[in-house]
Amino acid sequence: MVKTRTWVIIIVLLLAVSLGLTLWLWSRPRGDVVNIYQDGELVRTIDLSLVTKEESFDLESDYGRNTILLEPGRIRVSDADCPDKVCVDSGWLTGAAPIVCLPHRLVIEFAGGRGNIDAVTG
Amino acid sequence: MRTKRLTLDALLTAVALTIYVVELQLPHVVPIPGVKLGLANIVTVVAMVLLGPADAAGILFSRIVLGSLFSGNMMAVLYSVSGGLACFVTMLPLKKLLTPRQIWVMSVLGAAAHNLGQMAAAVLVTGTPALIVYLPVLMVSGIAAGLFTGAAAQFAALRLKKVLDKYHG
Repeated sequence: MVKTRTWVIIIVLLLAVSLGLTLWLWSRPRGDVVNIYQDGELVRTIDLSLVTKEESFDLESDYGRNTILLEPGRIRVSDADCPDKVCVDSGWLTGAAPIVCLPHRLVIEFAGGRGNIDAVTG
Repeated sequence: MRTKRLTLDALLTAVALTIYVVELQLPHVVPIPGVKLGLANIVTVVAMVLLGPADAAGILFSRIVLGSLFSGNMMAVLYSVSGGLACFVTMLPLKKLLTPRQIWVMSVLGAAAHNLGQMAAAVLVTGTPALIVYLPVLMVSGIAAGLFTGAAAQFAALRLKKVLDKYHG
């Protein structure tokens, strides 16, 4: 039998590595250009610094609809017809992590985020 | 004996399903897909410890399929099944390794594996490797939730064992 202390050490190590990676990944700088991906394909690129007034548009797909809201310098999903609405609850896009709507296979993130990740994962 | 066992499995599936549906009603505290308590996993761990892998697998996958039907989110089946499979494969060898006082470890590592499997499915389905940024956060949340559900599962399993021994011998 493995000692309880050994299990605790394994779990604490796993937790420490994850926590470290979280803090490191989530402190990345944000840019102005936002990419919107659906099903892994780039469907739209928006430069948030060029947005002068509030506007919104719908992204329709076979999976469902997401309403994207733009304001000067920021972007969010304001409505969606998915059941869990995690993307709506995510609020405004930050440099930390992309907004994701898994049921609709939608990802919104700052351009460069992908490049950074590629650098991380090799 | 078979009927008794099947009834027990069905009962545990109903318990797991109830817990699952109730948990769905809780608001998202952290707006990240995949961050949740996973309370229904308490039942999986209890079944794994008391009844064995076959019963646990049956309960787990019945709960996932029925739970997705009940919540109306069939897309979630794919992620849940991948997570459930990873979780199950991780818990299987642990069953022999752990003492009754270490049942909670099964839940912690199972939860971490669940998030890993779910992430792999999400990356493949959406074709978006960038989702990996969520993995560390999901691991942290999975371990924390696993500690909680693991403590609950260990408590429940040790108590239930006495009851089952008393009535079945």
